[in-house]
Amino acid sequence: MFGFSKHEHLFGMAAASLLALAATTAHAQSGKITLTFANWASAEGATRPGIEKVIADFEAANPNVKINSEAISFSEIARQLVLRVRSGNPPDVAQVAGNDTILVATTGGVEPLDAYVGTEFKSTLKPDALNGLTVDGKLIALPWNQAPAGLWYNKTILKQAGLDPDNPPATIDALMAAMAAIKKSHPDVIPLGVDTTNRAFSMSSNWPWMRTFGAKPIGADATGATSKEMKAYLSWMREIAQKGYIDPGRKIGEFRPLIAQGKVAFLWDQVLVQGVIQSTNKMSDADFYKTYGVTVMPAGPSGKPASFEGGHQLVMFANSKNKDAAWAFMKYLATSPEAIRNYTVSYNASLPPLANVTDAPLRAQLDTPIFNAYRDKIIPTLTPQPYGAKFAAAATAVMAGVQEAVTGTKPIDDIAQSIQEQLDRR
Amino acid sequence: MILPTILVLAIVVGYPIIYTLVLSVQDYNLLNIDPAVFVGAENYRNILTDRIFWQSLANTAVYTFGSVGIATLIGLAMALLMENLGGAGFRVIRALLVTPWAVPFVVVAFLFRYMYAQKGGIINAMLTGLGIIDDPISWLNVASLAMPSVMVANIWAMAPFFFLLLSATLAGIPVEVIESARVDRTRTWSMIYHIKLPYLRNPLLIGSLLMIIANFNDFAKIWAMTQGGPGYSTSTLVIYVYRVAFENFEFGYASALGVLWLALLFIFALAYMRALRTD
Repeated sequence: MFGFSKHEHLFGMAAASLLALAATTAHAQSGKITLTFANWASAEGATRPGIEKVIADFEAANPNVKINSEAISFSEIARQLVLRVRSGNPPDVAQVAGNDTILVATTGGVEPLDAYVGTEFKSTLKPDALNGLTVDGKLIALPWNQAPAGLWYNKTILKQAGLDPDNPPATIDALMAAMAAIKKSHPDVIPLGVDTTNRAFSMSSNWPWMRTFGAKPIGADATGATSKEMKAYLSWMREIAQKGYIDPGRKIGEFRPLIAQGKVAFLWDQVLVQGVIQSTNKMSDADFYKTYGVTVMPAGPSGKPASFEGGHQLVMFANSKNKDAAWAFMKYLATSPEAIRNYTVSYNASLPPLANVTDAPLRAQLDTPIFNAYRDKIIPTLTPQPYGAKFAAAATAVMAGVQEAVTGTKPIDDIAQSIQEQLDRR
Repeated sequence: MILPTILVLAIVVGYPIIYTLVLSVQDYNLLNIDPAVFVGAENYRNILTDRIFWQSLANTAVYTFGSVGIATLIGLAMALLMENLGGAGFRVIRALLVTPWAVPFVVVAFLFRYMYAQKGGIINAMLTGLGIIDDPISWLNVASLAMPSVMVANIWAMAPFFFLLLSATLAGIPVEVIESARVDRTRTWSMIYHIKLPYLRNPLLIGSLLMIIANFNDFAKIWAMTQGGPGYSTSTLVIYVYRVAFENFEFGYASALGVLWLALLFIFALAYMRALRTD
């Protein structure tokens, strides 16, 4: 290509190999610890600058540690981690969330954190941030941030539809009435954004809706998919689809730019939506709070609103040769004011797991209508999820049934029966 | 040189197949720390009563044979129509007709996904604009429409392959054969049926076999467009195996599915080879 002779080419390759070898040897001799950090924060354009800055800050404060950040997409990370654990080459630390956290722990390759956390440090964390992170009596992950789901609403659309923007719907009936009004006044607006794709995350996202109808198709004390509560939930999903209140088949992320553009009235989504909306429509904070609000899920027949924790956790792997350094890094990411300020709040737009924020500037940063609504109203409605090794398979069966209810004409009784048959096979 | 070749084939092809066979008779879940357990034919027995497997198999047949059949006919029609057209202008048209075949599958999937969109999709815009439909249709989210919609995208991408293959074959038919048929005043349909199709038979068989195998294993287009949904309406074998292996981590059961899949393709390929030999 560049006119090198065969000998020159070989010489060049040999020289490059020697340089690489020399660099590696020098690095090893310098006594530097290298930690491998598998995460999707550096795989996504929106969060990459934030995580890179936080890693650089940590490396500056800990000159003997080098973080090797591995970018893996959110949808792929659990698969990669499980396969790597079983192959004997996991990273030192990984970012995980939802059922993936439990899946990775199920492999037996995760280091229990009880010895690292200790009573004193544990008391600085919110108890609800630690919920569901204990497997077989051992703490298997450190909460990095909290990102529960709430009902986002566009106040402008509500007002134009003749609804009270300061009183969002508190019940399913009120939500139905509001969506009917929005459909009438704004035919081009999607009244409600909900994820109806077939994946484990979608099941997590829909689980609170099932629970507010009193349905519990899987998990401990499950009442199955053929219960009248589950059928009521499936019938409701069919009704809102047939009335054109939802746009089936979209991932939750696909609704985020749409709500930013004023094309979605209500959105069942996590706290981090604020960051997406503002980066999309460039709204100032003042305009944002004037236009958007968030509240608890409208209560269904059970009378109880529910939510799910979509926050991220950090796990350390038992194979790690540098567990103390790994723990220091995890602790820094989750609880240091710098990391919370530079990543958790600013780039991830989510809540830190700390029970009390002592850093005054950070406390001010967290004192917003959205964060306060999540902290005071939505987090208390968090509902445990039936996570575990069988959750993904169950999610496939349940969400396939939800899709059949939303997009087809098959009788709800038959769909419920079909879901149950699939659940019984697992 | 035969022994090294056999060794390489044994390692590259033989080992994965044998290992898949071994896994298929085990209860092996990656999330289970305990070692895999030999279960004999249990995985295969479970497959026989697995409704989703049968639905996925039926979907695979519809997707594969439907897509290949229609794409073959379109490719053949295009090749016959363009056969006698010459000049620089038509060379450009030919090149443009082949373009969809060069587009990566994932790009095809996303392209059609946006074209099918209920809100803002060009297909709905055209159909409502022409008054053919009153309201936009959610093509990929209606169980009865999702499979045909995915197949349209697949046919769009595949038909140029047959056009290219059959155009090259038609160009290779000896001029004397065509001329003598014309002297005998052979009509167009008769010319196609009695003269050209016999020449096209073997390329059609080989091309369709290649495309059947490719479509049987087509993951990217379906996954990017529907992920096998809504419900299980576009779930093909490859989608189902992926979900079982990489979402549920049931490698034993997924391997059993893979063995059956391989057997089906093998039987199919043998039938084709036999058809090629009978002249």
